[in-house]
Amino acid sequence: MVPLLIPLAPLAAAAVAGVRPGRWTAPLVTCAGAVAALAGALRTVLQVATTGNPLVPLRDVVGVDGLGGLVVGLVALVGTAAAFFSWGDLDVPDGEDGRRRLRRYYVHFNLFLFSLLAVPLVLDAALVWIAVELTTLLSVFLVGFDGTRESLEAAWKYVVLTLMGAAIALLGILLFYWALREAGGYAFTWDGLRRAAPRMPPSVLVTAFLLVLVGFGAKAGLVPLHTWLPDAHSQAPSPVCALLSGVETTAVLYVLLRLLPVVGASSGARADVWVLGFGLVSAGTAAFLMIQTTDYKRLFAFSTVEHMGIIMAAAGIGGPVVWYGAVYQIASHALTKALCFFAAGAAHHCTRTREMARVRGLLHLSPVAGLALLGGSLAIAGSPPFAVFVSEFAILRGAVAEGRLVPAGLLALFIVVAFCALMAHVTPMVFGRPPSSGTPRIPALCTLALVLVALPVVALGLFTPGVVHGIFRLAASSLGR
Amino acid sequence: MALRIFANGLQVVAVLALAPLVRGVVDWWKERIQSQRGPSIIQPYRDLWKLFHKDEVVSTESSWVFRVAPYVVFTTPLVVTLLIPVLTAYPLAFAFMGDMLGGGFVLALGGVWAALAAVDTGNPYGPMGASRTRMVGFLAEPVFMIVFFTVSVVAGSTIPYIVQQRWVASPAAFFEPAHVLLLVAFLMLILAEAGRLPVDSPSGHFELAMIEESRTLEYSGPAAALVKWGGAMKFTVLILIYVNVLVTPWGLARGPGLGEILAAIPLVGLKVAVFLAVLGIIESSVAKLRLYRISEFLGAAFVTAVAAMMTRLF
Amino acid sequence: MPVGPLVGALNDLACGAFLLTAFALVVVRQVQECLWVFVLQSVLLASSSFLLAVRLRVPDLVAVGVLTLAVKTVLIPWLLRKTVQEEIYARRELAQLVTVPASLLVSLALAVGAYLLTTPLGTATVGAGRANLPIGTAGLLVGAYTLAVRREAVPQVIAILAMENGAFLAGVAVAPDLPLIAELAASFDVLVIALVMGLLTRALHEHVGTTDVATLRTLREEPAPWSPS
Repeated sequence: MVPLLIPLAPLAAAAVAGVRPGRWTAPLVTCAGAVAALAGALRTVLQVATTGNPLVPLRDVVGVDGLGGLVVGLVALVGTAAAFFSWGDLDVPDGEDGRRRLRRYYVHFNLFLFSLLAVPLVLDAALVWIAVELTTLLSVFLVGFDGTRESLEAAWKYVVLTLMGAAIALLGILLFYWALREAGGYAFTWDGLRRAAPRMPPSVLVTAFLLVLVGFGAKAGLVPLHTWLPDAHSQAPSPVCALLSGVETTAVLYVLLRLLPVVGASSGARADVWVLGFGLVSAGTAAFLMIQTTDYKRLFAFSTVEHMGIIMAAAGIGGPVVWYGAVYQIASHALTKALCFFAAGAAHHCTRTREMARVRGLLHLSPVAGLALLGGSLAIAGSPPFAVFVSEFAILRGAVAEGRLVPAGLLALFIVVAFCALMAHVTPMVFGRPPSSGTPRIPALCTLALVLVALPVVALGLFTPGVVHGIFRLAASSLGR
Repeated sequence: MALRIFANGLQVVAVLALAPLVRGVVDWWKERIQSQRGPSIIQPYRDLWKLFHKDEVVSTESSWVFRVAPYVVFTTPLVVTLLIPVLTAYPLAFAFMGDMLGGGFVLALGGVWAALAAVDTGNPYGPMGASRTRMVGFLAEPVFMIVFFTVSVVAGSTIPYIVQQRWVASPAAFFEPAHVLLLVAFLMLILAEAGRLPVDSPSGHFELAMIEESRTLEYSGPAAALVKWGGAMKFTVLILIYVNVLVTPWGLARGPGLGEILAAIPLVGLKVAVFLAVLGIIESSVAKLRLYRISEFLGAAFVTAVAAMMTRLF
Repeated sequence: MPVGPLVGALNDLACGAFLLTAFALVVVRQVQECLWVFVLQSVLLASSSFLLAVRLRVPDLVAVGVLTLAVKTVLIPWLLRKTVQEEIYARRELAQLVTVPASLLVSLALAVGAYLLTTPLGTATVGAGRANLPIGTAGLLVGAYTLAVRREAVPQVIAILAMENGAFLAGVAVAPDLPLIAELAASFDVLVIALVMGLLTRALHEHVGTTDVATLRTLREEPAPWSPS
């Protein structure tokens, strides 16, 4: 019963914010909805982790298992932090303009959060496609929220490339349905597909999966259809960027990771090579493109592409340790990327510019922002004692143990390149002498959001609590065949 | 056997005699659609009679090519008439003399001679029209090839009679996408090759805009009559290939009796009349294309023909 | 004449015409013509749906056909007109990034590619709905190409809707018994796409001053001089 209520909380918040967009009521109700969703998600995750069995309130339609529970929890956590950050960060002019702005932002924010929560909860593949479409459609106006030429350009590229990918993925999903019918009467859920896989014609399976890989890969940021990602994830307001980069791409990756074992379960079909290839190319391209950027939000956006590539490459390599590492990476990336974008938001609050060349001495300007930026960059680059280090190390170690030395070597190279690029760009920003004096204050709510995501990042880098380990193990087992 | 030779000869005579009527009907019908009275449908016969009784004027700059060309233009459609099903559904005496490609080559021979004669005169409009006709011709070649390829692969033969027997084998086959798409593509081809709107205006008088007509501007007297008659016959031959081979074999004589063959003349004439009606409506609804848009028009015909081929062969 | 083969032949005809509309979408020059070609394509999709409902004896497909007609031929043009008014009625010749004959040849190659891709997939390509899967895939790919070569906003929106049309054409033959709730939600989704893109186009028109989206090229990586300091 509880999983059904999780996405309803932000939906209710959207309704309230639409009707009464007050300066206090709209953000308050949003945060309340997000916290309620978080509570529900945590409770569900706890239940799944302790019993080891999936929760299925509505058979074949809504259900939560290990991987789904993990993603729901991540979405809820980042969503809550983003809600708090929005409260502190959003510029609200007085009067009618302010009310309109508030309404636009919070209604869209809540609807977006609702669709993001729906993706991992739904079991039927066709409904999942619709949920993924909704995540795009409900976030378009958030990307273009600033109303500038660049943000509208980013929103246009976002919507066009993502919807194109979704149409291609639709054909793939319909082919999966047909293959399911050819194999016998099973339900069109992840589980049903997996059980019917040995009886499905292999050529259809591979074609269908490749279509979904290309289509949803465009939305997840896999090269070569990733060109919208740096634009959209840098032009949006920072809390929205955190949602987009941290959890929206994760949600789409979740769908791909659900379909990969279906292909793996069939004896004649091989899709790992494609997944590994796309993953490596994405990671490599992003790592090298990170060297060239001039905007720090774009830097983090490219880092998202790189991490999506790493996760896909890990899924392609296979093997229990690598899968565990991939699941760990999903969690650590979501949280760390949220931290990075919140830090970027704080930096933008202080300096009012997005260009790296114009930001110097952030640590002196505002210790909170500088520390957050430095910590976030170190974390996302994969340095200890943060969570991403643990997951990347697990992936590399597992790959070497499996004997896949070339992919492991390439991944290590790309991680190192990204690390260098990140540090080379961020260190001058944080240290040095600030150009102007005065200490702008970061709103307390933004600091709260920063702490909310920073704590798990540091915690997961040092140890893994039993419950968390349990849910990771369950999620990793659903990646295997 | 004798009947087959006779039937073949009857086909040629029918086309010879009725080609100007086809021209007359299409001109009259177009005018009627545009709410005008239009010339009488036997006007082309009167024109031919008048031209045969006039003197000929030949430019001193021209050579033997100019003098021979009218005869070539007149006889090539008649040769093609021997090869295609005009009145009968079964092959006649000369049916295996040449196949569709051969027929296409022979028609093209007439076109080449006309183009050479146009260049021969030294008139500035002649070579201009000749070069434009060649451009339309070479853009139309791929469409011809694809259409021939598709029908030949399906029928297992390139002889027009055999193709006609096997192409529309049953009434349901009429609605096949390959069939309908090929009809559309070949119709666009006829519009291009016969110089109808939207490719070329057959009744225009402005020489700078002419494509087909300016090749034959220099002719006078009996040579002009032969050229006009030959043009009408080429138009008729293209229509006959379209309605008899591609659209439906309805109306063609199935048995060897002479009465049946003679009865086929009005039935085939009815099919041709329906085609001319459709053609008239099309011509009255579109405007003439700019010269550079003709490549797009024929490109669309090519794409339609390849789409037809794909839907049938895969 | 037996009903079965006739219905199958009519379905093939609808699919053949669908392929032609996909090609037409690449080459039309006016925004309003784009919209009409899309409406024609949707009508052909609906008729294929009705014909396959008769042939495959799946009554759900009738509902799918009615839904398609309602949403794509009535609601979407109305929606686009309300949100993007001046653009739809602008009688302006659309510039292309690639010339028309070259575009036609590329679309043809994509259609042949779609056939080659889908023919080895087995039993979906025999029987009454045999043309749907290859032509639907061709419509999808040609729609993606149209999206790439069009410069203006509204034809890009219509190209995305045309891609979904192609996927649905393949779907009515390949997945005829998809639960109706999914079809309903998918139709609603198409409506929302039109709404969102229409509003975004209007925002573009207001803030940027033009809907020529090919001019929006400011967000790119510039090889900037990088100085460690």
